[in-house]
Amino acid sequence: MQPRQLVDKWLFRLGAAEPGEVVLNQRRVFILPSKAGLGFAALLAVMFISSINYNLSLGFALTFLIAACAVIDMHLTFRNLAYLHLSPGRVQPVFAGEDARFELHLANRRTHDRYAIWIGFIGDGTAVDRRRAAADHALRALRPLAGLNAQAIDIGAMSSCSTTLSSTTVRRGWLAAPRIRLTTRFPLGLLHAWSYWHPELSVLVYPQPETDAPPLPLAGEAKTDGIGRSGNDDFAGIRAYRPGDSIKHLAWRQIARVEFEAGGQLVTKQFEGGAASDLMLDYDQLPHNLTIEARLSRLTRWVLEAEERGLAYGFRLGAVALEPSLGPAQQQACLRALALYERP
Amino acid sequence: MRMATSTPPVPATPANKPGRVLLRPLPGSLPGPMSRPMSRDKSDTLLLIVACTLVLAPHAAHVPLWITASCVLMLAWRGWITFRGNRMPPRWILLPIALLSAPGVYGTYQTFFGRDAGVAMLVLLLTCKLLEMRARRDLFVVVCLSFFLMLTNLFYSQTIGTALLMLAATVAILTTQLSFQYTGAVPPLKKRLQLCLTIVGLALPLMLVLFFLFPRIQGPLWGLPGDAQSGRTGMSETMAPGNIAKLALSEEIAFRAKFSDSIPDRDALYWRGVVLGNYDGRTWTRMQQNSGTRTSITIVPHAPPVHYQVTMEPSGQRWLYALELPQALPQLSDNTSSLTPDLQIIATQPINDRVRYDVASVVKFTLQPDEGQLALQDWLDLPPGFNPQTHAYAAKLRNTTDDNASLVRTVLTLFRTEPFRYTLEPPPLGKHAVDEFLFLTRAGFCEHYASAFVVLMRALDIPARVVTGYQGGQLNPVDDYMTVRQSDAHAWAEVWLKGRGWIRIDPTAAVAPERIERNLVPSTSRQGFGGLIPIDLGRQSWITALRQRGDAVANGWNQWVLNYTPQRQKNLLQSLGFEQVDWSTLTLLMIGLGSAVMLAIAVPLLWKRRDLDPLEHLYRKLCDALAARGMPRASHEGPRSYGARLTAPGSPIVPAKQQAVAEFLQLYEAARYARGDAAAPNAAQRELMQRLKALFTKIR
Repeated sequence: MQPRQLVDKWLFRLGAAEPGEVVLNQRRVFILPSKAGLGFAALLAVMFISSINYNLSLGFALTFLIAACAVIDMHLTFRNLAYLHLSPGRVQPVFAGEDARFELHLANRRTHDRYAIWIGFIGDGTAVDRRRAAADHALRALRPLAGLNAQAIDIGAMSSCSTTLSSTTVRRGWLAAPRIRLTTRFPLGLLHAWSYWHPELSVLVYPQPETDAPPLPLAGEAKTDGIGRSGNDDFAGIRAYRPGDSIKHLAWRQIARVEFEAGGQLVTKQFEGGAASDLMLDYDQLPHNLTIEARLSRLTRWVLEAEERGLAYGFRLGAVALEPSLGPAQQQACLRALALYERP
Repeated sequence: MRMATSTPPVPATPANKPGRVLLRPLPGSLPGPMSRPMSRDKSDTLLLIVACTLVLAPHAAHVPLWITASCVLMLAWRGWITFRGNRMPPRWILLPIALLSAPGVYGTYQTFFGRDAGVAMLVLLLTCKLLEMRARRDLFVVVCLSFFLMLTNLFYSQTIGTALLMLAATVAILTTQLSFQYTGAVPPLKKRLQLCLTIVGLALPLMLVLFFLFPRIQGPLWGLPGDAQSGRTGMSETMAPGNIAKLALSEEIAFRAKFSDSIPDRDALYWRGVVLGNYDGRTWTRMQQNSGTRTSITIVPHAPPVHYQVTMEPSGQRWLYALELPQALPQLSDNTSSLTPDLQIIATQPINDRVRYDVASVVKFTLQPDEGQLALQDWLDLPPGFNPQTHAYAAKLRNTTDDNASLVRTVLTLFRTEPFRYTLEPPPLGKHAVDEFLFLTRAGFCEHYASAFVVLMRALDIPARVVTGYQGGQLNPVDDYMTVRQSDAHAWAEVWLKGRGWIRIDPTAAVAPERIERNLVPSTSRQGFGGLIPIDLGRQSWITALRQRGDAVANGWNQWVLNYTPQRQKNLLQSLGFEQVDWSTLTLLMIGLGSAVMLAIAVPLLWKRRDLDPLEHLYRKLCDALAARGMPRASHEGPRSYGARLTAPGSPIVPAKQQAVAEFLQLYEAARYARGDAAAPNAAQRELMQRLKALFTKIR
């Protein structure tokens, strides 16, 4: 085992993620002088030597006073972090490439206020970064906040607060929250206390939706009998409003519902001549020259598009086969299947 | 653009590199929660300026006026910039200011090295740095500089006032440093000040342990700059009657003495200092002691010696003072002293620090009754061509009698009967100073009388010399220390009479006996303004009492703080029962006591848990008691579901207790969760608690 790993294991006790609430007891809080603290120590040395040299009795008093202040500061910095209660919160599934936002709860069950605690993931959360971070975090501890996507929080006495940490996602599947480091230098900035927390918290990452996906494989197209065309006969879904669309065809209900997310855009009901009842999103129907990820990506886009247009859709992927339906439940089931396809 | 041009110091944001974070971010460059209202940055910076002013203010007492003036200007400029939210001055303005200060300092001190020039440079540096603060690191530089400047101020003053100001400045600096550490909401100044006072308050006991027990090393470690000891007052080595007496007006303390038993009479309190034997017609100087005239010193005591301890303020000179006549040499650490034939005590090194020594003196004595003629010849020299009138008068007197003792008496009678006058503002004297004084002006103070008397004696062929030192002293009834001030400086004469040896003659006493026998209040300075202030402060007993109390405090300060030397440290520990005191004992003691103090501070600080309210506390106790019976409360269970489980069939709790448990939990639930709980009157709450406690004892 390399020395650094030994340090990690025996000193910093880095191990598997911990479920549930974690209390930062004194074994978990580490403290060292900050760069400013080292400078301060040098100042104290100079003042001490000057006091000896000039026989300044009051100089000794001053030197000892501010040295004692630094010692008290050490306790207060430690106290600022120690016995903080940490628990993981909720996390919403995201699409690959988006930032996963991990909600974390911090509770201060002591009667003193805590200020200026920086909390952040070690590294930026990508797999590569996490490996590297795990390898050299011990060094990073000495370079506080460097490369740390951290944010500062204050927690009053006997109160709690929640914070959200972002981590970029690259691959679909379950993404565990990276290790978190909490650091503080409060109150005087002469010491740097830090602590690690690896919450057992994962986020489901859906495949990235394909950007320029072909249109939905509507039944008309799928059957390719040449009859289907866009027209006014049957409601086929909705699409973004284009100038010239009849006001009668505006999809008022959808506008009312999606307005916020669609950025206030108008949408128009789309009617098609062909039968649109059996939209089926089938993995096996996709061109075989595409990679697995590309096919999953396209299916993801289609699921979203079908939901957006309000078209009921069936779904088939490996062992998962869903009857045509519409709504959040259907969408989530599909996306979950897509995210976890051939992944544990 | 007010935002952009202001100078808000902001904490490191994740977007910026730590360490060198711009204090003036562009608008919008900060993430939402980090940006703070302007007023806070203003107040932080103003606080910094206040802290620096506290640090710099005492330096105004010793730096040249132009430095004080430029510091005041620059601080005002900095304050104005902060207040108005203006742009910081660019480097091309600051650089010339900084560059000009160097030749300025050189022009004033003729050097860059040495203590005073160094302090002046640091004062200017701190002020300039305030105008050049751009990063967080700069703030830390300012903090460090401030602390060091506070230390340098101690070169000049170590009074209680300085210490208090230093404490205030420390709190101010730490509060500033603290204020810049907040990242989110900043509590009001009062709360920040409170936190800093807590830090300093908790640090004080630890500081005391370190102060008294840290193994002290006697400095200096290396040579001090030449000006390190300047500005200290002491007795002059020369005496030129006619010059204005500076010392006579100074209320500075020369030394303090503590007598172990009885205090000699007031008219015996002559503290011998410098003996002046050479006179050039104008100025008295010390006689060169050549080894040929060295003789043994014979002192015949007529009374048991008086034992006392002198704590002498640094004088920058080598004289040590003792009551006439010292029996043994005072022992100083690292500084040996010697006794000259004319009984001056001279230390090898100048007294640059407060020293303490034990002396024994005999106040009734005969000195050198059998001095040889050769040695006495030295004390008869007078410069030719000066004071012809005095010589003529002496010749006239000499013709009347051969008895030297009666001649001395005659001269003293002359001083007493003729219209001589004691004044601190005598008219200037010409070439024949003694002639003019004796026969013309007849106004002067001790130096004039002593000088004239000795010249007259020598003209009469009586060996005589001038002795300078201090006369009297003020006894402080609070701590029994006798304080001798510079205003007690005095000059008297010694004449040698056959068979009686050197005897002390104080001609001033003949003219102004109150000068010698005056009571408690040294009123030298008031004598100078005697016509202006008609109130005799000496009669105001409460003022006297206040002053004495103040003196006692100042003396305690000197004994315990300023003069806490390695020797004193050793004595303290020995008085506490430690026999072998060396640095290892001290270190062990310091670590031991320091740890104890630290423990006493840290335990309540770190392990202070939430104060549970009594209701919750009782509930927890109940849960613990039930857990001991094998029915622990699961973390998800509330009182109701827990109660249900406890009272369910098959529960290990006996039925009688089950009922109590059910009632307890019901009451607890109602008290905890029922609406309007907080508004319940105290009486009802007390009743509830009593009921719950009764139930709890039943269950247990």
